[in-house]
Amino acid sequence: MDYLGQLLANGLVLGAIYALAAVAFTLVYGVVRLVNFAFGELFMLGAFLTASLMLPEVRLLGTIVPMPGFSLPVAAMGAITLTAALGVLVDRIAYRPLRNAPRLAPLITSIAVSVVLQSLAQTIWGAEELRFPEFYLATLPPVVLFDSIYLSVMDLVVMATALAAMLGLSAFIARSSLGRAMRASAEDQMAATLVGIPVNRVVAAAFAIGSGFAALAGLLYAQTYGFAHSSMGFLPGLKALTAAVLGGIGSIPGAALGGLILGLVEALGSGYLPNGTAWKDAISFVLLVGLLYLRPQGLLGKPELNSAGRGSLLGGASEFGAAWLRTSFAKVDGALARAAAGGPRAALALLALAILVGALVPSDYWLRILTMVVIYGMLASGLNVIVGFAGLLDLGFVAFWAVGSYLTSILFVLVLKDQFGVAPADIWWLLYLNLPLAGLLAAGFAVLLGTPTLRLRGDYLAIMTLGFGEIVRVVAINWMDLTNGPMGIRGIPAPNLFGIALGSPRAQFFFALALAVLVVFAIARLVRSYVGRAWVAIREDEEAAEAMGVPTARYKLYAYAASGFVGGFVGVFYAHSQQYISPLNFSLFENILLLMLVVLGGLGTFVGPFVGALIWIVFLQLALDLPFVQAYPETRFALLGVVLIVLMVFRPQGLAASARVALTMPGARPGARRVKEVA
Amino acid sequence: MSPIAPIVHPIEPTLHPTEPLLQVAGLAVSYGRIRAVDGIDLAVEPGRIVSLVGSNGAGKTTTLMALSGLLPLASGRIRFAGEDITALAPELRVARGIAHVPERRRVFAGMSVRENLVLGAYARGDAVDIASDLDRMVALFPRLGERMAQLAGTLSGGEQQMLAIARGLMSRPSLLIMDEPTMGLAPQMIDLILDTVLEIRKQGMTVLLVEQNAVEAMRLSDHVYIMRLGRIVHEDSGANIDPERVKSFYLGADS
Repeated sequence: MDYLGQLLANGLVLGAIYALAAVAFTLVYGVVRLVNFAFGELFMLGAFLTASLMLPEVRLLGTIVPMPGFSLPVAAMGAITLTAALGVLVDRIAYRPLRNAPRLAPLITSIAVSVVLQSLAQTIWGAEELRFPEFYLATLPPVVLFDSIYLSVMDLVVMATALAAMLGLSAFIARSSLGRAMRASAEDQMAATLVGIPVNRVVAAAFAIGSGFAALAGLLYAQTYGFAHSSMGFLPGLKALTAAVLGGIGSIPGAALGGLILGLVEALGSGYLPNGTAWKDAISFVLLVGLLYLRPQGLLGKPELNSAGRGSLLGGASEFGAAWLRTSFAKVDGALARAAAGGPRAALALLALAILVGALVPSDYWLRILTMVVIYGMLASGLNVIVGFAGLLDLGFVAFWAVGSYLTSILFVLVLKDQFGVAPADIWWLLYLNLPLAGLLAAGFAVLLGTPTLRLRGDYLAIMTLGFGEIVRVVAINWMDLTNGPMGIRGIPAPNLFGIALGSPRAQFFFALALAVLVVFAIARLVRSYVGRAWVAIREDEEAAEAMGVPTARYKLYAYAASGFVGGFVGVFYAHSQQYISPLNFSLFENILLLMLVVLGGLGTFVGPFVGALIWIVFLQLALDLPFVQAYPETRFALLGVVLIVLMVFRPQGLAASARVALTMPGARPGARRVKEVA
Repeated sequence: MSPIAPIVHPIEPTLHPTEPLLQVAGLAVSYGRIRAVDGIDLAVEPGRIVSLVGSNGAGKTTTLMALSGLLPLASGRIRFAGEDITALAPELRVARGIAHVPERRRVFAGMSVRENLVLGAYARGDAVDIASDLDRMVALFPRLGERMAQLAGTLSGGEQQMLAIARGLMSRPSLLIMDEPTMGLAPQMIDLILDTVLEIRKQGMTVLLVEQNAVEAMRLSDHVYIMRLGRIVHEDSGANIDPERVKSFYLGADS
């Protein structure tokens, strides 16, 4: 009983923090229908800023900077104000130009903003933890309830602050003029404009309040656990989003309820489940997946929010930006479209070029890089099936990749070599069996997960896939017997064909190229079939497709399975090519990277993922030579984010939008858009 | 309604007596490559009811949305009460005295009738007289008075239209723009709404009306503009307009 009581108390403290951050997600979603992933990073910044303002001096960018050394309440007010201002700035720069853009664009932008903020924080404050200074209330003896439940004074402060902030916000939304204007703008922006509400300013106010709440949650979290770190916002941010969805996104009482439930479930789960603390992150996502299945609108939400994904996720151009910028993008687009219009001949020419490059490049170093380009191009092609062709945002694609890599590594290393002492060279053929096997296994997972979840649309689907990706990662870290946990699996044999080792960089490049030909050919055939036409119809307008008799849930499932197959398939080769894998290889960041490659190269094109991979990976290598990047390696990722934001703001349809596979039948317009089948 | 003070408030003194309240010159609006409104001129004299009629796709609603600042202009100028408002933000136009009752009413369905009305006064910035204005709206539409605490989404179509008009009047406009106020309403309700339009005009309001029902619009209006494919093809005083002529515009015969 005492144990339970203590767990409940801990859960309440955690729940209060989740609830505060969930309010940020729910408020902004309610007003502009945007899941702003960047709140996780504003949470982290709230913690860093508070800690910095409380210290006498901080090391920023490697230099010691004197700080005011405020007490916690003053520092917190300062941090909240700064974070709120940053939130407004982010909205102004990255989201406002996209209010009328395709729905995928702001979502991707918010992920990019997240990446930028996190890398900047790491650049400024360093990769180390910043110890959170002790506030004098924290030194007081804990309060003891029923002789057995210990709550520190700060725990009580956390709960009281959260309660007060949420009641205050509810009253503000319900009674104040600005609150009324917020509700009006949430309901109908045009009507709100017509009664004289400056909607942009109201949205900015929502961002300011939301960011303030995220900062408050972050600083309370850092205070409770005693440190601030540049990656500390990621998991709590996801959980706060989970809490908001759990309670019904858009509803403030829902966010409070969702936060509390999540906090309590997590505390109880880590207390009672065997090895519970390791699994507590998975618990929240299992809860989320289960709830979305049973009640997609959340506990207190309204059902219509799930249908917010009306219309094409990709169509539509930005009206934003200078004319010269748009014309130059259009020129690039036109050139890519012309290149893509060459049909099989152009494809073969490109393949010949790739072979020539592979045969002539002298340096092993560059061959390895080119192999990475082909691998990432293939993976991005797999993601492109679901995002580019079917128009569904998938943030859990890395999970399929992980399934493939782990399958072959476990079989080769942990089972055959370690258990049975079989030398990998004797069973070289297993690799070729594993390729389709891993594809089928990943596709099986996709079907398993997709069957309940693909009824969901738009943002909810994205959140769900995010949850799935995280579950797979948590499993990979914690199921030590199966995966070796965080240590990863070493000694995965290089590919081998009839006893000939294909370990040299050149052989690996050609191996990758051969697989890429297979992958792209298969995807191209699939997209050209009636299945592909159904996908494109769903992408362009799911409701219209449904009305035309396309069984949308089934075709979404096919797309998901096909994309999963590619992920698993390529994953096998990835493991053998790297010869070492660990859960770190399959983080959400990798998923975002793949997404960026697809967007960069052109959603819904065959050659786009490879173009994107080539640009990014070569850029990454060249950037390593810059002295600034050498001093601050994280800035490369910030740059990735900036590129993505700029691309989204000025050209949300992607670089090669005109090369996108359209619904026209080949031959219907002779000489019109043909598709490149091999990259 | 007579014991209640009039809804209409005096027009800004800056207005020159001979200048129209609203004057539009060469207004053009494009949706991408499509030109929806192609250089139209309009003048609305104070205290008049002016209507814009035409078939679907003629550009009427687009014109009204450009007037209240919801759509950017491709070219043209808009003057209101002696001031050039072409570049003014929508909320500032409301503050200057233009109220727009949009097509399909668009009341805030999840908010109470009272909240909808209070929001109507948002641009005014003075919280002082809101209570007395609420009384005036109840006097104008007694049905709304009975439903003050009810959610606007639960009102009937006609009641929602009343609410939309009342919400527009709460900003104390000098020009009331109404887009198809009778759309989808029962015949009795149509009469009631149109009578209200006449009533508020009698109190001195200027009205710019878009109406599908051209016959009713001509009966009501002091001046009628006929639009077709983004242009004004004919205009005359309401009494002078030849119904046969209007019919030919609707049916697409060239004039």
